Amino acid sequence: MKEKQITIANRIDQLDFMVTELEILCEEWEIPMNISINLNLVLEELVTNIIFYGYEDQNEHEINIHFTFDDNRIEIVLVDDAKEFNLLLAAEPEFNTPIEEMKIGGLGIHLVKKIMNEIKYERSDNKNILKLVKNLN
Amino acid sequence: MELTDSKKGNFLIINLVGRLDTSNYGELEKKLLTFIENGENHIVVDCSEMVYVSSSGLRVFLMALKKTTSTGGKLYLCALQENIREIFEIAGFTSIFTIFNTQEEAVK
Repeated sequence: MKEKQITIANRIDQLDFMVTELEILCEEWEIPMNISINLNLVLEELVTNIIFYGYEDQNEHEINIHFTFDDNRIEIVLVDDAKEFNLLLAAEPEFNTPIEEMKIGGLGIHLVKKIMNEIKYERSDNKNILKLVKNLN
Repeated sequence: MELTDSKKGNFLIINLVGRLDTSNYGELEKKLLTFIENGENHIVVDCSEMVYVSSSGLRVFLMALKKTTSTGGKLYLCALQENIREIFEIAGFTSIFTIFNTQEEAVK
């Protein structure tokens, strides 16, 4: 089993660092490019949501991203101390409505749910703990 | 990300090179809105060199599609790389957008 942890601060400029670390990890673990791009999209979405909407104070907070790779299965555990947010309860976008009436929202969450094979949310010790699994085959 | 504009017949073509993400989607949004407000509502975004798109980028395309459609115009996308097309499919965008394989087909 391979594992790696990335810790970032709740600033949007930290996304570049996160993306670079993810790219290195995917290269080292020989993860196919399409999966790497999908994971990038998922993490960008989740971390951006945490940074933009998660905190009511101006303090610096840590966001931890822990990756494990075993048996063609990538598990990502995202831990933050932002306010409670369970994406499994978030509204889905309406794709069946005409384009002019469609609301532009919920798209990122929809993508996260579509891309990942398993999602588990837990609120514990004032932290959001989101466990995401992507199967490679 | 780099954006280059050109004109072919009725169509304004935006060539998008690199990553379209949370840090830079505003540049594309601003450009598209400026063109549409100035009456350039037949637009092709050439994605042949786009290597990544986040949901913030997808939202810009959706916004531009709504704006062009509501003013009687068109927004076409062309030459999506396979990995990007996969994201469009997951997002349900392949049924909403008109996507051409090449720029030549888009401007016909």
